[in-house]
Amino acid sequence: MEKSTSLTAEQITQDLLPQKFGRRGMIWTGILIVFCIIGMYAYYRQLRYGLVVTNMRDYVSWGIYISNFVFFVAISLVGSLITAIFRLANVKWATPLTRIAEIIAVSAIVFASLIIIVDMGRPERFLNLVTHGRIQSPIMWDVIVITTYFCISLLLLYMPLLPDLKIMLRFKEKSGKLLNKLYRFQGSFWKGSAAQFKISDRAITILCVVIIPVAFSIHTVTSWLFATTYRPGWDSTNFGAYFISGAFLVGAGGVVVAMYVFRKFYKLEKYITELHFDKMGKIVVMLSLLYLYFNINEYMVPAFKMKKSEAVHLTDLFTGEFALMFWFAIIVGLIIPIMVLLFKKGRKPLPMFVIGVMVVVGAWFKRYLIVTPTLLNPFLPMQEVPESYHHYFPSWEEWAIAIGSLAGALLVITFFARIYPIIPIHETITEQNEQDEQ
Amino acid sequence: MNRTNNKIAILLLASFFAGAVHALAQDSTKQELVVNLGYYMTNNKMMYLMVNTKTKIDKKFKPVPNTVVTIYLDSVAATNLVAKVTTDVNGVAKAILPPGLKDSWDASPDHKFLGITAAGKAFDETEVETAVTKSKMAIDTSSDGETRSITATVYALKGAEWVPAADVEMKLGISRLGGILPAGDDPTYTTDSTGSVTVELKKDSLPGDEKGNLILMAKVEENEVYGNLQIDKVVPWGVAVKKEDSFFSQRTLWSTRFRTPFWLLFMAYFIVIGVWGTIIYLVFQLIKIKKLSKEPALE
Repeated sequence: MEKSTSLTAEQITQDLLPQKFGRRGMIWTGILIVFCIIGMYAYYRQLRYGLVVTNMRDYVSWGIYISNFVFFVAISLVGSLITAIFRLANVKWATPLTRIAEIIAVSAIVFASLIIIVDMGRPERFLNLVTHGRIQSPIMWDVIVITTYFCISLLLLYMPLLPDLKIMLRFKEKSGKLLNKLYRFQGSFWKGSAAQFKISDRAITILCVVIIPVAFSIHTVTSWLFATTYRPGWDSTNFGAYFISGAFLVGAGGVVVAMYVFRKFYKLEKYITELHFDKMGKIVVMLSLLYLYFNINEYMVPAFKMKKSEAVHLTDLFTGEFALMFWFAIIVGLIIPIMVLLFKKGRKPLPMFVIGVMVVVGAWFKRYLIVTPTLLNPFLPMQEVPESYHHYFPSWEEWAIAIGSLAGALLVITFFARIYPIIPIHETITEQNEQDEQ
Repeated sequence: MNRTNNKIAILLLASFFAGAVHALAQDSTKQELVVNLGYYMTNNKMMYLMVNTKTKIDKKFKPVPNTVVTIYLDSVAATNLVAKVTTDVNGVAKAILPPGLKDSWDASPDHKFLGITAAGKAFDETEVETAVTKSKMAIDTSSDGETRSITATVYALKGAEWVPAADVEMKLGISRLGGILPAGDDPTYTTDSTGSVTVELKKDSLPGDEKGNLILMAKVEENEVYGNLQIDKVVPWGVAVKKEDSFFSQRTLWSTRFRTPFWLLFMAYFIVIGVWGTIIYLVFQLIKIKKLSKEPALE
């Protein structure tokens, strides 16, 4: 690692302290806020006039919102992969990526919850889930596991942050009054004593152990929302594993994109090195192959049998209305990443960034393809309904809300990186000291 | 000159006819409203009228909702007003004879009901008339141990006396969910000179209610003289059927939240308590860390 050459604790601290937004940062934040405001206005319209402002009708009742929800839940799984699995497996090189992964997980899961409420025609009835909820319903399981995952992810974000809060409190002048107040509120009790470290380390290990099954649960349960429904395209025993593998892939893709952006704009080349990209590239290619394997299972087996109801759905995907999107998701989101990342040159920062974007965009469309085409191909023929019911294309309000939610998630990450160190300072210093000792 | 006059006359005639045809064409855009007015009597007690409005669209009858129908007894007069009803989405409305018309109703065995709809944008004024002779039904049973028979009789009011009504077609059988299950082999029966129909019940072991009761039913439908009559009688001729509700009382994945399967409850609570117990434990650890803030730092 480049940082292993000769970095002092003071240098590391100075490099990794949160930085004020520059001009580009302000423009980026401004754009995100504008998207959020447009999204909020669209949601106001939806609340005012009802779900009729969307293009969801009798057949396609789960449209872009649910696709977005599945996407958010999927990307949130990366927190458990990078933070928990790597930490438990003692993968030291992943340390600079843990906080990036964890904030992606937290912001994604927050917006997954919000977008589900957006999908409800009567959001004020959300509490009915608690008062009238049936534990037999997978939707109920989803609410429970998402809440649980959010709490664990938040703890996993917060606990390793405590030593860094203490460090940041040393730089009062740089942080400013308001941020100092926040740091003091969140971590003034952290003195870095042996006893505190002992409890904290143990708690983080417990969190890492707990978060893995919970993370698997959130996406398995999300897949069961579909798989427990008897419909072409969803009636699959493959769905749990298929969703989990896809989630790890999109999460890893998201981390790669974030790594590149933070590295470039926060000048973190000494900490997020080419080695990190190389290693993440290998992980992405492995996850792509795994997801490809599940895709083959998911599409080839029913395509081989071509049962009548499945045939309509599959034809729609392979050669019909959704063919362009389907092959885009498969080729751009899966095949090209595998082909590029198999080569060392493909695992350099810039190609990795491009591939990361392709994986994330491909994954978003893949979620759309999982949700919508099935709803347009019910078992019973669609009869005596308006022509528009046979197709689905989101209204501008749906696009605005979906894009607004994506912008919101990015805004959370942006503000987090403005307030807290995006690479753990204390852990980096500790690792540096260990390396120096060796 | 004459020729010119003739031409003018022909042109005028042609334009007159064109105007007349146009006017007729305008009139003919109005469709025909079909109004049915039916007289109903159940168990010789409940008398009511059913109004049905429909029209023919694309060779099919379609109900005409929101049509106001004014119903009179015997003649159109304010004192004879039975009801002013509006048809529902199915083009149907119901009316009952008001107490104020009791004397008029009792005065004669024969009456007629008049239904009138006002002219509107879509339809012309429509008037329909339904004549009714007062009648009643009786249903009786007999059993000799081996065979069970049902006798239904129709009586008509002549002057002040009830006389048997012959040649009245009726359905006779057992009331089931989908309608009347014929007691014999024929779907309908016609009353003889005594106004009666006797049919042997050939269907054995029919499921009845929890006590084994069956409802025997005789029904006269859309009779030109007597309207729609119906009478029923409960007899203990069926097989007692115990209500099978164990299906709904089971703890299944599709039942209500109060009947969740135990295994699912156990799993859900085990996982939720296990995971949330850990989260609560970790929060307490955080509190513990906070309490340790007075200890000296490592660095």
